[in-house]
Amino acid sequence: MNRYLPLAITALAILAMATLFLVIAPGMQIGAQGPSPGLNPYTEAEARGRDVYVSMGCLYCHSQQPRSIAQAPDAERGWGRASVAGDYAYDNPHQLGTMRTGPDLMDIGDRLPSQGWQLTHLYQPRAISSWSIMPAYPYLFEHKDKADPGDVVVKLPPAYAPKTGVIVAKQDALDLVTYLQGMKRQYAPPADGLRDDGYALIAAEQQKQTDAAKASN
Amino acid sequence: MMSDKMKKDPRLPDETFEPFEETRRIPLPVYWIAIALAIWGVFMLVETSHSTQVADKARAQLDKQEQTKTAQVSAPDPAAGKALFSDNCATCHGDAGEGVAGAFPPLHGSDVVKLGGAQAVTEIVMRGIGGPLNVNGESYDGEMPAFGSVLSDKEISEIASYVATGLNDGTKTISASEVADIRKVSGDMDPWNGGAELAGLINGLPAQPDAKTPAAKGPDAKLVAQLVNEGTDTVWSCASCHGEKGEGLETVPRLAGLPAAYLVKQLHDFQKGARFNDSMAYVAKGLSDREIIDLANYYAGMSSPSGATPSLQGDLKRGAQLAKEGDWSIGVPACFTCHGPSGIGVAPEFPGIAAQQPSYVAHQLAMWAGGARHNSPLGLMAGISKALSDADRRSVADYLASLPPVPGSKPADMVAMTTSASAAKESSNDQ
Repeated sequence: MNRYLPLAITALAILAMATLFLVIAPGMQIGAQGPSPGLNPYTEAEARGRDVYVSMGCLYCHSQQPRSIAQAPDAERGWGRASVAGDYAYDNPHQLGTMRTGPDLMDIGDRLPSQGWQLTHLYQPRAISSWSIMPAYPYLFEHKDKADPGDVVVKLPPAYAPKTGVIVAKQDALDLVTYLQGMKRQYAPPADGLRDDGYALIAAEQQKQTDAAKASN
Repeated sequence: MMSDKMKKDPRLPDETFEPFEETRRIPLPVYWIAIALAIWGVFMLVETSHSTQVADKARAQLDKQEQTKTAQVSAPDPAAGKALFSDNCATCHGDAGEGVAGAFPPLHGSDVVKLGGAQAVTEIVMRGIGGPLNVNGESYDGEMPAFGSVLSDKEISEIASYVATGLNDGTKTISASEVADIRKVSGDMDPWNGGAELAGLINGLPAQPDAKTPAAKGPDAKLVAQLVNEGTDTVWSCASCHGEKGEGLETVPRLAGLPAAYLVKQLHDFQKGARFNDSMAYVAKGLSDREIIDLANYYAGMSSPSGATPSLQGDLKRGAQLAKEGDWSIGVPACFTCHGPSGIGVAPEFPGIAAQQPSYVAHQLAMWAGGARHNSPLGLMAGISKALSDADRRSVADYLASLPPVPGSKPADMVAMTTSASAAKESSNDQ
């Protein structure tokens, strides 16, 4: 062990190459993508709601990356099409998440666009699904004797409603729901969306070629 | 003493000796392996880049198809018109547009087409038509769905031109841009109200029967609108998930045009726990029997454009085969045998499935196959769903999503308070 210089240079070169191919090159490739056509930047309320989403750590249980048909039945669950890089253009940091303790939320605004449902569910998930293990978020709401004008009253079944007065959503809850309602990914993905299609498209293309060959015979 | 210790004993090995290895050549096999790996790596790189090229090409082709679908090209292609006609119209109007006596008016040699030309055909295809209508002196009273939301301007122009000039001896075709102009004006309008309203469009149309006046809105119309748009103190509004036009999205089903009796049964099943969906069980438990019937009638009578597009990468050809003919090799009958021609539904038991949301259909089929949904008459759907593969479920769901929407049902098919209340009682006794 007396030739430190070549050793250090080789080690650094390997590290540099890995960084180039795994970090810098994909970063440039994705950076050149820009936002998907059809994706809108966040409104002010949505951006505030996103901050609430981040601060409450929703991503520890909810992913934001539906898989393609070839990999998982996410589309059949109504979780939307497989996402592409451009879908996250306005997310910094993105909230991809890896855990699916709860359902994927990338397309929640299409699947559950109801503000009323979202508020009830945030206040007490068990009011809707008795088996739900999602935490309740009572601190996003306020117990009032009477709703003031402009207040959004949470719809609750008798078992979960307060004995007197009403439950009213605080601004954080309204913003969070606005953010969730805005999570719509129904638009068509760009053609060069850097998307993993699994083998489905290739298989379809090969099938087409064999069909064409058969037809010409 | 010290000097004795310091002194080296020649019999002992040198303690300052630093072990080292002499440079040796790397064995040849290692080189071979490294070179083989490098060649393999390059080969794989070329191979996979080829496969992404294939995928890119396939995707570009899909995009191109999408573009040509919406492109505003001028002259309609008669061959394409004929193919579109047999795909979309021939099921009811016959391959040569001969119609079915007493049920579906003819398009070949029809006075409506002759007098109105491609323009009138476009108007009818775009909006659909329902109610009493005289064609060539024969009277008809059916429902034709609106194709405006499932066919592009170009496709409608090709169909209308084929009907006017191919099936009849008209000379005037209609271009896609003219269709686009008609869509701007009447794309969102309700279906034509029988021949009476059509007479206003087509000059010189022979006498037409009086149009049925739409059922007067009951005293509950306001209450129903409140339920649909705002909900109650405990229940969310219907429209907040199912959409303002009841067209649904993703796993939220389309409700517009489904038989009222079917909707009532589903809501009661949610109440009793015979059909599982936490959100809908919550809603149904918060509704009175009266409200359920009013809402079912409201959605049954609704005509709205299709909100569904094929999105599950299903094989539309396979889906069409399953829907129209079934597949007896796996013991699956045609969907349309029970759900009516073109999936428009057969009241009261079989809901319309045309223009239903593909994720919803695929999801429900999976639930039937797995036993989580088990409330179909005679358990029919369980057997069918179990026979379908995952790809088949997606194919048939995508095909149904490509069909024109079910028109709203006539007042005669509505559920009356008394009959369905007794029916509900009966079904609750079953449990």
